[in-house]
Amino acid sequence: MLALGSPCLGGCAPAQDPTAAETPDLGAQDISSNDLSSEGLSPDDLSGQDTADEGAQDAADGGGDGGPPGPLLPLDEVVYVRQPPVMRRLTAQQYGNALRDVFGEDVVVPARLEPDGRVGGMKALGVAQAAVSGRGVELYEAAALEVAAQVMGDPQLRARVVRCAPTGVADEGCMGEVLGALGRRLWRRPLTAEEVDKLVRLSAGAADTLGSFEEGLGFGVAALLQSPWFLYRVEAGDAQGRLDAWSLASRLSFLLWDTGPDEALLVAAQAGELSTEAVLLGQAQRLLADPRARVGVRAFFSDLYELDRLDELTKASEVFPHMSDEVGPSAREETLRGIEDLVFDERGDWRQIMTRRKTFLNRKLAAIYNVQAPAREGFGEVELPLEVPRRGLLGQVSVLALSAHPVSTSATLRGVFVRTKLLCQVVPPPPAGLDTSIPEATGEAPTLRDRLREHLESPYCASCHGFTDPVGLALEPFDGIGRYRTRDHDVLIDGSGELDGRAFDGPQQMYEAVRDHERFGLCLAQKLYQYATAHEVVAGGAPMVEALGARFVAGGHDVQGLLLTLIASPAFREVSTGQEGQP
Amino acid sequence: MSGRHRWVSRRALLKGVLAGAAVSVGLPWLELFWDGKARAGGLFPKRFGLFFWGNGVHPARWVPQGEGAAWALSEQLAPLAGVKDVITVVSGMEVKVPNAIPHASGAAGILSGAALRVEGEDNGFAAASVDQVVAAAIGQDTRFRSIEYGAEPGSGLSYSSASSRNPVESSPYQLFDRVFGAGFRAPGEVAQVDPRLALRRSVLDAVREDAAALQAQVGAADRARLDQHMTSIRALELRLARLEQDPPALAACARPLAAPLADYPPVDGRAQVSAKNRIMCDLGALALACDQARVLSNFMTSPVNNILFPGATAGHHQLTHDEPGDQPQVHAIVLQVMEELAYMVEALRAVPEGEGTLLDSCALLATSDVSYGRTHSLDEFPIILAGGAGGALRQGLHYRSTTRESASKVHLTLLRALGVPAASFGEGASAAYDTLSAIEA
Repeated sequence: MLALGSPCLGGCAPAQDPTAAETPDLGAQDISSNDLSSEGLSPDDLSGQDTADEGAQDAADGGGDGGPPGPLLPLDEVVYVRQPPVMRRLTAQQYGNALRDVFGEDVVVPARLEPDGRVGGMKALGVAQAAVSGRGVELYEAAALEVAAQVMGDPQLRARVVRCAPTGVADEGCMGEVLGALGRRLWRRPLTAEEVDKLVRLSAGAADTLGSFEEGLGFGVAALLQSPWFLYRVEAGDAQGRLDAWSLASRLSFLLWDTGPDEALLVAAQAGELSTEAVLLGQAQRLLADPRARVGVRAFFSDLYELDRLDELTKASEVFPHMSDEVGPSAREETLRGIEDLVFDERGDWRQIMTRRKTFLNRKLAAIYNVQAPAREGFGEVELPLEVPRRGLLGQVSVLALSAHPVSTSATLRGVFVRTKLLCQVVPPPPAGLDTSIPEATGEAPTLRDRLREHLESPYCASCHGFTDPVGLALEPFDGIGRYRTRDHDVLIDGSGELDGRAFDGPQQMYEAVRDHERFGLCLAQKLYQYATAHEVVAGGAPMVEALGARFVAGGHDVQGLLLTLIASPAFREVSTGQEGQP
Repeated sequence: MSGRHRWVSRRALLKGVLAGAAVSVGLPWLELFWDGKARAGGLFPKRFGLFFWGNGVHPARWVPQGEGAAWALSEQLAPLAGVKDVITVVSGMEVKVPNAIPHASGAAGILSGAALRVEGEDNGFAAASVDQVVAAAIGQDTRFRSIEYGAEPGSGLSYSSASSRNPVESSPYQLFDRVFGAGFRAPGEVAQVDPRLALRRSVLDAVREDAAALQAQVGAADRARLDQHMTSIRALELRLARLEQDPPALAACARPLAAPLADYPPVDGRAQVSAKNRIMCDLGALALACDQARVLSNFMTSPVNNILFPGATAGHHQLTHDEPGDQPQVHAIVLQVMEELAYMVEALRAVPEGEGTLLDSCALLATSDVSYGRTHSLDEFPIILAGGAGGALRQGLHYRSTTRESASKVHLTLLRALGVPAASFGEGASAAYDTLSAIEA
């Protein structure tokens, strides 16, 4: 199977806006934007793809009953080649979430940890592949010592974990009780007696040396926190290819809450109940109903759209007077609140994300959007004005400012965002060794569209840029920071273009063209599969991803429904056995 | 840039630093310890330095006129006038790897000597970067195996192996804290051995046992990742053991009197690249002077960086492609980068050591990810060396290759000059088996 969507696979043309598709940072740190692997999912492989588009429409409008995308196979019957178990390092966010779960909200989480690099555009994939660096080990050690000192030094924090009264400086019984209980939460499985003994010996020795029970115990806690059993989410399967209970509990909890299992989930795992689909789904529904599920869904979309990069947003303030340090984090919050509202509060059709007028703004963003601030402080709900074509995700500062240059817009970067993040299509990097300059703005060619024209009309360049730029040019009414404008260099902006056969004129029709694209719903299912399993979509997994996508589409694009469907599927619950010889 | 001027600007810079922290500015920061304290004689360890910047140069304005010892700085090398006698420019070399992905391929080629590893849509180094090859040989006897920093937040390009990338310190304060915070002992400071050091080592021992037990349960790729993890834990244990011993008593070593600012926020949307770089170069020089590390890598800016440099109307990378004509703005940025390189060289030269300076024992390599930023070319690659590697390298030369030799020859020359018994550097077409004898002493 070949990835589809990009007409410029194979000999790609030169790029006139090379900032877009170039890999800006080796090892997948920044805008690694392409997601489908070369053996990836293609819509051509979807059963009933001829009617998929129509069916998607019907299903979305009618709630899933009327759509004719063909009978959906039970997921158990979809051909699926089990994928190997993975070993994921906790992201910095997960590390902090886990500490707060166990030690309480008051614990100060060290900010400096091994950075999380992206692979295939996602940290979720990066943490399953990269090794911890030498510097990372140092940072984890410092963090563990810092947290241990905090917990043991603060009477309130200490009381949360030390429930026994030590009878001496090196009271091994009490130490064992504390470390065993902490270990079960931190390592997300019960510790063996030997493991507890080892930690107790270490702690008791330290307590003797330092003459303090608390300080000694702190070294045991530091050992728990530096252990690979804490730092990595280790997965294992049984002989039948079922993920074991502890691994499954972690997959579930990290997917939905972005942290380790809570007590109830650990109890269910210990009782061996999670192998029953009904119990697993019951737990999934319990987690989804909890406010912490919003943390989990935020983590997924933040990873997918690379919203962490908003912390380092660089814009020239002389060009964009609204720019300040507040803009990036505010823009991220707007996007995530909107997603949270759609997925949880409204539980609406995901495709509305492209066209919603409802959004959440603070004063800073309201100023950029030129609307009245909804609240004196913090964020409030706003209905965007009808007169301005700002709608949905692609009208938000987060996407518009991230997919742009420090002083200007970038039709290519914005087009790449739509193609790779929303439609899971592939945009290859530009070829090397070419002069890729675009002409500067002149009286005869004042707008970006004018400046790009020559290249868009050259067949060589256009084979790639015809793919990315027209979509991005539709967003030219929004400047490099996302402010609305009607003119570029005092010339009216032309927002017409075409997306895979569907013509549009202006941003609003473009949003709709993306929303109605046959890959739009499937793409979210694919990304979620990658996020949850840390696997790229390879040949053996593709039919399952297609089936998940088809169900998402047929079910009215309900993101919570997609999560539950994925959780119940073999892709989530099963792994290949016999790790020898695994790639 | 004269030495005197440098001190003035350093002090002025420090005033800014201290003003923010409300500290008296009566004490000059670093030179208090260096002026007139040169230690006579003695052998000093050899050190390696890297200065890396993104987006290349303009070769037509970069390559110097004249060769050997009779040469003149080019237009773009002009900021190095003050250090001309201690640098060697190597021109005409080629990075001989496939240029599969602009910027990324060149960076992998020049730093690791190997082609970029491309897997699907992702890429990374296929081999260790040169700084880590050096660190593996000469980084074992210091508190830190190597130190990586960079003024631009980012990940740097220091790879211990294909899957293990060392993050860089991009905050001057954090760099200061790492080297000179808790755990640093200046020469002559009497301190009892902290019993916690031994306890930390026993924790690391336990953690390493956990990792070994876990290895039995995972597949081959994850076993290799855990191997890396365990190697790093072991290295940390060794460093802790060293802390329990007496620190090296180099005369030029001193604890900085004040910490840098905690934060250097952008001013008018422009990152404070120069201010951060200079403080970190000072700290890096002091870290070498105190023998806390012998490998120091400065990833000042990254490939494809789009930093808004002072005076520029667009980001650096965007300008390399969009600015028409002679690209005066890109040229101005290259000059700013060279000023920062000059500062790093001066910072190393400012530390007296024996009859000479710290720079005498260093081999510093300065280079970028592409040659001509506009076209991503890999021939006529920008390479500058500084320092004498303890008398092993000649300085003040322009070496001009007329046969497009592999840039890996430079690395092999540096490795040998540092006493690393390497037979070759690089892979495939990029591999070098011979050194550049013209620059060897």
